[in-house]
Parts: sequence; structure tokens; C-alpha cells
Amino acid sequence: MLIKSYVLRRIIKAVFTIFLITSLVFFIVRLMPGNPVDIYISQLMIEESMSYTQALDQAAALFQLDFNKPVVLQYVEYLGNLLQGNLGQSFRSKGTPAADIIFKYLPWTLFCVGSGLVFSFVIGLLLGMVAGFKRNSPLDIGISSLAALIGAIPNYLIAIMFIVVMGSVLNILPFAKIRGSLSPGVQPEFSLNFVQDVLFHAWVPILIYVLSTVGNWVLLMKSSTTSTLEEDFVTVARARGLKERRILTQYVGRNAMLPLITQLAISIGFVVAGSFAIETLFVYQGVGALLLQSIQARDYPVVQGIVLIITVTVVTANLLVDLLYSRLDPRIRVR
Amino acid sequence: MTAPITLSIKNLTVTYKAARGLVRAVRDVSFDLHRGECIALIGESGSGKTTLGLSLVRLHVRAANIAAGSLIYHPKQGEPYDVLKLSHEHLRRFRWKECAMVFQGAQNAMNPLLTIGTQFLDTASDHDWHNPREVAQRGMELLRLVQLDPKRVWESYPHQLSGGMRQRVLIALGLLLQPQILILDEPTTALDILTQRAIIDVLRDLRKQLDFSMILVSHDLSLAAELADRVATMYAGKLVEMAKVDDAFYRARHPYTLGLVKSVPTISAKIEDLRSIGGSPPDLIQLPPGCKFHPRCTFATERCRQTEPPVEVVDALHEVMCHEWRNVINPVTV
Ligand SMILES: Nc1ncnc2c1ncn2[C@@H]1O[C@H](COP(=O)(O)OP(=O)(O)OP(=O)(O)O)[C@@H](O)[C@H]1O
Ligand code: SF4
Ligand SMILES: [Mg+2]
Repeated sequence: MLIKSYVLRRIIKAVFTIFLITSLVFFIVRLMPGNPVDIYISQLMIEESMSYTQALDQAAALFQLDFNKPVVLQYVEYLGNLLQGNLGQSFRSKGTPAADIIFKYLPWTLFCVGSGLVFSFVIGLLLGMVAGFKRNSPLDIGISSLAALIGAIPNYLIAIMFIVVMGSVLNILPFAKIRGSLSPGVQPEFSLNFVQDVLFHAWVPILIYVLSTVGNWVLLMKSSTTSTLEEDFVTVARARGLKERRILTQYVGRNAMLPLITQLAISIGFVVAGSFAIETLFVYQGVGALLLQSIQARDYPVVQGIVLIITVTVVTANLLVDLLYSRLDPRIRVR
Repeated sequence: MTAPITLSIKNLTVTYKAARGLVRAVRDVSFDLHRGECIALIGESGSGKTTLGLSLVRLHVRAANIAAGSLIYHPKQGEPYDVLKLSHEHLRRFRWKECAMVFQGAQNAMNPLLTIGTQFLDTASDHDWHNPREVAQRGMELLRLVQLDPKRVWESYPHQLSGGMRQRVLIALGLLLQPQILILDEPTTALDILTQRAIIDVLRDLRKQLDFSMILVSHDLSLAAELADRVATMYAGKLVEMAKVDDAFYRARHPYTLGLVKSVPTISAKIEDLRSIGGSPPDLIQLPPGCKFHPRCTFATERCRQTEPPVEVVDALHEVMCHEWRNVINPVTV
């Protein structure tokens, strides 16, 4: 009973957090300088060499928006739509629901960053444990300094260095072809060809994601392993003559992993958010790239939709991990 | 003592590497532990008791080094062997199966993520006892012997038990594999007086029921008096006196043992008779010459400042390291 109400409390809190952030974002995007109509008009004038009146006509026809409506009314309307699961229409692609656009881009990001996160976490965990066990050995020094080094480089720099070295200097990888999420003409379908093409385009962004995040996992796991190794129960486990494999997994590994689980929740939450730079660089058709485009065009509904999704993933991930954590750690099971 | 020898410690020397130099924590210690016997290891904080205990199962920290000596263990069946020469795997099997050590202040001695029962089972399983029902039965019996509710404790996680309960769980776990030797390092410090009492009673009963030898590390002399057959006094890493428990308390021949005994309040002794030993133990990195106790010793002579005393035999079961032992007489009994 106690646990049920705890879960319920957490869910209510999560929903409230989502509501709060959604509302904030609604007002913040409208505080950004410039509005979608002005930006569209100047774009038409520059790119299509239209006159201002021509551009204004076309913009008015496209947007059919009443920007004179008080913001509060817009907000109420937005919330009403949201409750019915409607994110509104995109300003830029007329007649297309913002949700449709977002869900076209979302799977790419989930696949690319999601698998990157899994690889990064697993590799980081294993290397960190090895470094912790073999503390101060050449192996540990190698792993730790490498981890600290790449952990300190921002992901876009890693990406650029990778492109320069592999593409230009060594000329091994055809980056012109790798750009994008799919090669021209390839359709999403269940075929080997499709899968191959997806991997061909995704592996470099995934690798960059792994490289730019694995260092932190390694260092975290190493310090957690090191401090767990000093716990009494590990010494006592040795005194009990337990097999080394059991001590490593059940005694050290499981305990050392606990602090990383919270960290993992945060990272899962930022899967969607953590991809802007890489997606833009590789012209990968993911949510990160979409968000940047939408902000530039002041496409409020799409921006709001993406932020809403990011918020929901962050909050849900935290909620899930909290509940999972209490499964993993008996000490916080009863609240 | 006619019982056969279980463990023969010879010239054991243990050092710690510290920033200032070598800490000589245990110096040239030799004694025999007999089957079924309980030896109490007493001495001030820092005298090397824990270090000695840990060395017996080779669990000293990395900074420590067993510099010399041998630990000849006599198993119930088979040939004696030197614990210091065991391979990794043999050492693992030796630990807990032959010699279990219950640690000083081991409040976090159990894995917080596994139930007590699971930890009994994995201990047994790693020592080739693969019958979970048998293990559970035996484990719960031991838990009952240490006065715990077996069913509840078996299914508990460590954090659900109090400190005293955890200490008793560890003692029960220590006896699970029926080791020949149980080392208890300060089993009762940090416990309230009633729990202390319970543990002492439990240990005494257990030793009657299950036949094992015990090394009891404690600076609590009343504990030693109740449980021990012999008392070993350590000072600055040396074993300075080894005597039967009565001899140690009433006929101590080493001024340091005498000082320890006199610093214990008893009901009979008047409070003004109580005296603590003046001064403090020597720096173990730069030991003074001669007898290490001489700066604090009221019996000290010129010879004590020059040469470290050898081991001298008072009688068959009483050995002492003191030049002046013939002059040392416990005034309480005189
Ligand atoms: N890890 C270590 N590194 C360096 N010196 C140490 C270490 N552990 C213990 N020592 C030193 O070794 C000496 C003996 O310590 P030990 O823990 O064996 O004493 P003890 O008799 O068990 O004391 P207590 O009654 O306080 O438990 C002490 O002087 C201590 O400072
Ligand atoms: S040898 Fe001398 S200094 Fe040392 S304990 Fe005996 S009398 Fe005291
Ligand atoms: Mg100690």
C-alpha cells in the first residue's frame, strides 16, 4: 500500500513537471525575437526575389494565423489541443500536423543515439571495472588517461577531427555518401538492403556518440569500483573464501553499478537532446537537426512538440529508473 | 596442554609500508594454538593484534607484507602445511573452511544487495557444499544458536538488522563450514552491555557444542577472562607474555601485562588501586633500543635500555620476555 502511494505520488509529480515545462516553453518561444511570418517573408524576398507585398500575401495565405489573438488565449487553446493529443499544425509545412513531422525524424535519433548510449554504457562499465580492479597498473593508467582525454573533448570536435582524419587525410571513408540517414532511393522496408543502408549511414554518428560519452562512464565506473573494493563486505567476502568471479560480479560489480544507474537515467532522458551537433554535422535526419531548423524558422508548434517529447523522456526515464532502482537496491525498497 | 596442535605460528613478522618508513606491526611472534583452545590476544590499541589476526588468513592490506615466518596448519586429516606457501586457489579454500575470521567492527561485513540466506548459501557453494536445503537447515540452526530468529534473519537484508544482530550473524556464518579455527577481532566492542553479554554466552556455549579453536582479539580483559584458556599479551608488535588465564591475571610476570590487569576495574578492587599505565606505546617505525617497554616500565634497569630481553620460561605453559620477571610480582595477590 505504502509503495503504491509512493508510485502514485511520483507519477503526479512527473505530470506536474511536464505541465510546468511545457507551459514555460510555450511562452519562451514567443519571447524569441522575430516571428514566423516575418522570417518567412524575408526568406521569400531573398530566396525567391519577391517583392514585400507578394511575399506578405503568400505568407498570409500560408499561415492563416491570428497573431493578434492574446497570448493567454493562444495558450489555453494550445493546452486544450494538447489534452486531445494534438500538437497543432506546423507553421512551415502547411497542413501537416507538427506531430507527423516530429515522428518522421524521431526514430532516427532514437536508433542512433539510443544504440550509442547502450554501447557507451556497456563498454564504459566494463573498462571502468577493469581499471578499478587493476588500479595503478599500466592497463589502468592507459584506460583512465585515454578516458579523461576523450571525455574532455566536445563531441563536435571529435566529429570534425574524425571527418578530417578519415575523410581528407587518410581518405578511407566516403563522407559525402555517409551524410544523411538513408541513401537516395532507399525506402524503409524489411530488407537486408535497407538495414545495410541504415547502418552505413548511422555507424559514424553512433561511433562519435560513443567516443564522446564513453570516457565519462569509464571514469565513473572506475571510481565507483575503487570505492566499492574498499568496502568491508568485499574484504569479508575474500575471508569467506568466495570465488573471485562471484566477488567481482555479485559483490563488487552489482554494488559499484548502483550509482551509475541514476546517471543512466539522466543520459536516457537526454538521448533526444544530446544529438544536435552530431546530427547537424552529418546531415542526419534526426530530431536534433529538426529542432535547430524549427527554431530558426520560428515554427512554434514543432519546437514545442520536440521540447515536450524531450521533457517527457527525461521525466519518464527518471521515474522509471527510480522505480527500477528500488528493485535493485533493497535498502530503499521500503519507503 | 595435551591436545594436538592446530596452528603453529613461527617467527611471524609483518610490516606496513608507510610514507615515513616501515611500520613494524608484528615482530617475530611465535606460538602454538591447540585443538579446542581459546587464546585471548590482549594489548593496547596499535599493538598489532588485528595485523596478526589478518595475517593468519593472509588478508592483510596491500601495503602490508609478511616479511618472515611460517604458519604451519594441521588439518583434521592429511599432512600439515604452511599457510604462507599456499597457492591462490588453496588459500581461498583454506579461508573460512579451515579458518574463519570475524572482523573488528564489521558493521558492513555483509553484501547489502543480498539476503543473509543467500550469503550463507553462496559461502557454502563456493566451498563445494551444494545442497541448499542442508545448508539452510544448518545455517538456521546456527542462527538459532546465536539467539536470532532464524526464519526472519535468513530472509532479511543486512540493513534490516541491528549492529549486534549483524555481528551475531557473522559469528553464525563463521561456524557454517565448521572451521577448526575461529578468529574473533573485538567481537563485542561497539555493542551495548546486554548484547555483549549475549555474545559472550553464545560463544562459550558454542565452543562446548562445536569443537573449534579460537583466537580472541580484544582489549577487554573481562572478555578474555571469561572465554580464554590462555592469554597472549602483545606490546609494540611483540608477544611479550603467554600464560594460562589464571597465571595472567594473578601471576603476571611481565610489567606490561601486570599494568593491563591492574587497569581493569573489578568489584573487589578498591578504586584507588586502579592505575593506568603511564606514557604511550613507541613509534613502530623508529623503535627504541632494548626492551620496547622500558620508557614506561617501573622495573626497568640499565640492561633493559641496552638489550631486548629473550623469551624466558617461567613454567611449562608460561613464557615471558622480560629481564626482571623474577622481581615482578602482582601486589594484589601478595
Ligand atoms: N594499513 C596500514 N598502513 C600502515 N600502518 C598500519 C596499517 N594498519 C595498521 N597499521 C599500523 O600497524 C600497527 C598495528 O595495528 P593493528 O591494527 O594491528 O593494531 P591493533 O592492536 O589491532 O589495535 P586496535 O586495538 O586499535 O584494533 C599500528 O601502529 C598501526 O598504526
Ligand atoms: S625488560 Fe625491563 S623494561 Fe622491559 S618489561 Fe622487563 S623490566 Fe620492564
Ligand atoms: Mg585491531
